Amino acid sequence: MPSATINKHRPSELLSRLASDEPELKVRALRELKNQIIGNPTKKLSFLKLGAVPAVAGILADSIDEVTDNNNCNGNTSNILVQSAAALGSFACGFDAGVQAVLDAGAFPNLLRLLANPNEKVIDAGARALRMIYQSKLAPKYDFLQQKNMDFLISLLNSEKENVSGLGASIITRSCETCLEQKALFDAGILRKLSGLLEGGSLSQRDASLESLATIFRNNPEVISKFAGPEIGRPLSSIIDLAKDRYPRTRLLACMCLIVIRNASPHFLQDIGIKTKIIHILLELLDDPGQVGDEAPFAFSSLIAQKEDLQKLALEANAIDKLHHHLKKGSLHPRRYKGILLALADMCSKLESCRSKFLSLQVLNLVADALTDHNAGVRTAACVCLKSVTRSIKNLSAGYFMNEIIVIPLVQLFLDPSTSVQVAALGAVSNIMVDFTTRKSIFVQCGGMKQLVQLAKSMESAVRSNALWALKNLVFQADNRLKEGVFSELTASLLSSLISDPEPSVQEQALALVRNLVDGCINLIELVFAEDGYILGAIGRQLQCASKAEIGIQGMYALCNVASGNEFHKEAVIQQLFTQMGDKNQSFVIKFLQSNDSQLRTATVWTIVNLTCPSSPGAPGRLEKLRNAGIISQIKNMVNDPCVDVKLRVRTVLGQSMAFGDN
Amino acid sequence: MSLFWIVIRRLAEIEERMATSKKVITRDEWEKRLNDVKIRKEDMNKLVMNFLVTEGYVEAAEKFRMESGTEPDIDLATISDRMAVKKAVQCGNVEDAIEKVNDLNPEILDTNPQLFFHLQQQRLIELIRNGKIEEALEFAQEELAPRGEENQSFLEELERTVSLLAFEDVSNCPVGELLDISQRLKTASEVNAAILTSQSHEKDPKLPSLLKMLIWAQNQLDEKAAYPRINDLSKATLEDPAV
Repeated sequence: MPSATINKHRPSELLSRLASDEPELKVRALRELKNQIIGNPTKKLSFLKLGAVPAVAGILADSIDEVTDNNNCNGNTSNILVQSAAALGSFACGFDAGVQAVLDAGAFPNLLRLLANPNEKVIDAGARALRMIYQSKLAPKYDFLQQKNMDFLISLLNSEKENVSGLGASIITRSCETCLEQKALFDAGILRKLSGLLEGGSLSQRDASLESLATIFRNNPEVISKFAGPEIGRPLSSIIDLAKDRYPRTRLLACMCLIVIRNASPHFLQDIGIKTKIIHILLELLDDPGQVGDEAPFAFSSLIAQKEDLQKLALEANAIDKLHHHLKKGSLHPRRYKGILLALADMCSKLESCRSKFLSLQVLNLVADALTDHNAGVRTAACVCLKSVTRSIKNLSAGYFMNEIIVIPLVQLFLDPSTSVQVAALGAVSNIMVDFTTRKSIFVQCGGMKQLVQLAKSMESAVRSNALWALKNLVFQADNRLKEGVFSELTASLLSSLISDPEPSVQEQALALVRNLVDGCINLIELVFAEDGYILGAIGRQLQCASKAEIGIQGMYALCNVASGNEFHKEAVIQQLFTQMGDKNQSFVIKFLQSNDSQLRTATVWTIVNLTCPSSPGAPGRLEKLRNAGIISQIKNMVNDPCVDVKLRVRTVLGQSMAFGDN
Repeated sequence: MSLFWIVIRRLAEIEERMATSKKVITRDEWEKRLNDVKIRKEDMNKLVMNFLVTEGYVEAAEKFRMESGTEPDIDLATISDRMAVKKAVQCGNVEDAIEKVNDLNPEILDTNPQLFFHLQQQRLIELIRNGKIEEALEFAQEELAPRGEENQSFLEELERTVSLLAFEDVSNCPVGELLDISQRLKTASEVNAAILTSQSHEKDPKLPSLLKMLIWAQNQLDEKAAYPRINDLSKATLEDPAV
């Protein structure tokens, strides 16, 4: 009875035996090494650190040279080639550090040379090892556009040996990226070969072929239509058949291929029957305990994302119930956990019916649990899911989400080490802030507001802009006390520096925040005058050099709200409109009035309305200034503006100007 | 009349019968109908060959091929390799089995963590069985513990196996079944299935599915009729309907 021989195989001892001159001893040592590392990631790492990979790669190189020099391949040499290739292949199997080591040791070209060896086992070992490398992102890029490379690829696909044709398919799946490459592969007749493998190949050939086809089809309607056009109806139907194959992995890959086709060319696979079938197959694949089940929710997401019709079909197929069922199971692999949460997020992203279903099943609590998971990807996915669900206006108005279970963990995520988690949490919070009751106290109480202000100072622009977004929603129609609290926490100098932030998205959100702060109450308008009118000045400067319409819109509405105040406020606004002109003859006001964006025109005209409102004593003077700057005549030209909002306000302005005796 | 003929005719007969309402069918009637059902010899031979090949009876398959002219759907040479692995596990030579699997196809154990864990677990069991306690503990620590860290269910199984060491009388302890021959057979079967799958062959023979179908069909028909049933699959004799 053989015993476990741990003591005998001390790693360093094994490596020294590798260096033996005796071919038989070398083979034995290689075989032992191979058997130690296969299936054992810990051993792979420890041997890697001891420099096993360069050692084995060296042996491979020497033996190959021997074969070329002697022009023959005897038994021992073949064995050495097989065992060393197998060992290198195992180092590369599912282990990126191993792949990198194999590549760094220069073994790649030698493995390729093995494919030309007369011995079948040697070819197999080489092809396998190369396949393992090509399963990794670190694999060298294959240049399909060079003819000799394409010829080589074709010869691989033509081979009867599964490992070799599988290698060809892996190369395509890994390296084919651009439209040009996809077209080149199509032109070389590769698609026909691959669909041949679909119909007549073995299980692994079919799977490999499905992956390659999906890679060639991705985002390329032209190639798809050539492939699946009316003359060649068969290939598409063989993929559809494989979606119902007995092997789960084949079903998954076939569905993924069909989804790629549909996403690139929506006029294919229109039939409701087929769409429903794919949904059912993917939901059923969730039951698979292994990797197939982990990947199924991602495929499901790629099918339904942004597509209301498919979300509706999926809802009818009880997708939310099924996803919920799997979520309940607990102790999920992180990849699967993340996938299910994102699938739920996609389901609830647009349709209220889906969100109602989600909430009625009490899935919310499970998602809240995921907020504290130790895996960052899971936490992010949970936040994204909440962001989708909290789009439900009905439930927001009822204050359904403003509770401890959700808000407190979300606020804690503001301090998460991962930026993507922070941004995702901010997204969810922004929605929750749109709370039409004024019960925002929980949020403020747990320090949420202070955290948001801290995040507004983050180094990451995405975090700054999302934090401002959340604050903007927080103060929307909020009571004065809350608004003042936010302002004093922010301070005028921070707010004005955010208005002048280098990032346009941050500028936009900062201006929108000011707009919401000063909206509604005269006392709050005073805020923009704090510290010598810092904020007002910042707004004016930013409007002068606004890089996109959205910035102009928010800034003008902010000024508009200020101009709804008293005489002092109106004078200050009109001064901003003109003092920023500098060398330019034209105020940015004219530029905005002539903008293509109707919202920008509306906001600008509204501001003019407030500035020229007849009940205030300084109106005539301001009107004069506006007239002198050509703004009133510009407005006169807009009497028939295509946008109704603009048209109505233009008429208001003109009506107001006539009240002061216009010509 | 061979067993197979009877069984398969049964199946066809029952499926015909399913449409009618519950009634009593006599043995005479039944046998008459059975005789009308035609089954091809070639199909039967294929089933037998499929069974022999999947279960790994190489010599029997070879002989059957010579005597019946039925071609196997898999290269008989690959069966011997697979059988050598299966036998090694069944005899408790797990390390040998692992080496053989890796020679056959190094990808199998590299891409099948569950199978690899079970083989390593079996190695541990064999060490414990042979009283090599220190070696067993070292093995568990070095080879199996890292796997347990990565996976909750592996950890639980590891703990169960190691707990064998805690009992004086292993034959009576709660995890005693791990030492049973059935555990070896289970592991051997798992390896066999993995090799078959890697060779793109189906891992289950067709015959059991056929028998399951028969049982299911009879259960369905029971709701509609009283008829001569096959109750003992190994004999396949018709037993009279209850009156």
